[in-house]
Amino acid sequence: MNIHINGKAYPLSNETHISVSSALTLHFIEPQQSTFAVALNGDFVGRTDYDTTMVKNGDSLDVLQPIQGG
Amino acid sequence: MSLNIYGQNLDSRLLIGSALYPSPHVMKQAILASGSQVVTLSLKRQNPAEKSGQQIWHYLQEIVAQTNGHLLPNTAGCKTAKEAVTLAKMSREIFKTDWIKLEVIGDDYNLQPDPIELLNATEQLIADGFKVLPYCTDDLVLCQRLYDLGCQVIMPWASPIGTGKGLMNPYNLETIRLRLPEATLILDAGIGKPSDACLAMEMGYDGVLLNSAVALADNPVLMAKAFGQALQAGAQGYVAGIMQQRQTAHPSTPTLDTPFWHQNS
Repeated sequence: MNIHINGKAYPLSNETHISVSSALTLHFIEPQQSTFAVALNGDFVGRTDYDTTMVKNGDSLDVLQPIQGG
Repeated sequence: MSLNIYGQNLDSRLLIGSALYPSPHVMKQAILASGSQVVTLSLKRQNPAEKSGQQIWHYLQEIVAQTNGHLLPNTAGCKTAKEAVTLAKMSREIFKTDWIKLEVIGDDYNLQPDPIELLNATEQLIADGFKVLPYCTDDLVLCQRLYDLGCQVIMPWASPIGTGKGLMNPYNLETIRLRLPEATLILDAGIGKPSDACLAMEMGYDGVLLNSAVALADNPVLMAKAFGQALQAGAQGYVAGIMQQRQTAHPSTPTLDTPFWHQNS
């Protein structure tokens, strides 16, 4: 299957779905040191739901971090 | 005199943005110089290889700790209620605040808020427990609708974001103040000069939110200080009671017993 994280494609040959927690390990270099929040296909996923929310073929994950703003 | 935002009393009437400064250090110095206790910020897609996001976050946390202040996340870039609601929920989780500066843009050219999507998002967010600070146009009926939905704070624009054009429609802004006497009104966007901020306060507005006017000044730290003082001056002037304008001249100096007065007439 293919999933997208922040617009980048991640092909996963052996799975039909993975948890948000597992998907985040594909993306992060140092997840413990990062401040971020997650949306799956445009819907917010709370931190407590990362293990139970599944990412499937064609899904899009957005991982956002703080920046300056006006 | 203090600014009340959803029950929080703040010494400063200035809400300030954290973007566009020449460096994070200047940003921090300018925000501290302004005296503001509310700093706006946003969210963007994370690039794991990029450390700057974490650095900015640490700077902002330091500022909030030093000022005993508050973070005000925005929903910049959102064009639909759904996008704005999702971003607001992500912000609440990261920043641990239920305050949200709600922006839903309807036009790319002048970044004008979409009133229909804005009302829709406001309704959803208030139902979910958010304290919404909506960025809106200077339309009286839109402001009334936002107030009726439960927004204690309403933030009409002075002029489009980043233009520095100041108060485009003073009549509209004065009317909103007159018709919504109980609302906390914060003038947001388009402020260019300290005198713009002062004018808003003289109208009876409760605060001003700005970013570019300070960040893009030749000396952002000095400009931040100037805005802080302009807001104080305007607010004090409003409370003191501004004199009525008159059509004809009236001498300031008493004329009785003035030597030579009307001697040759």
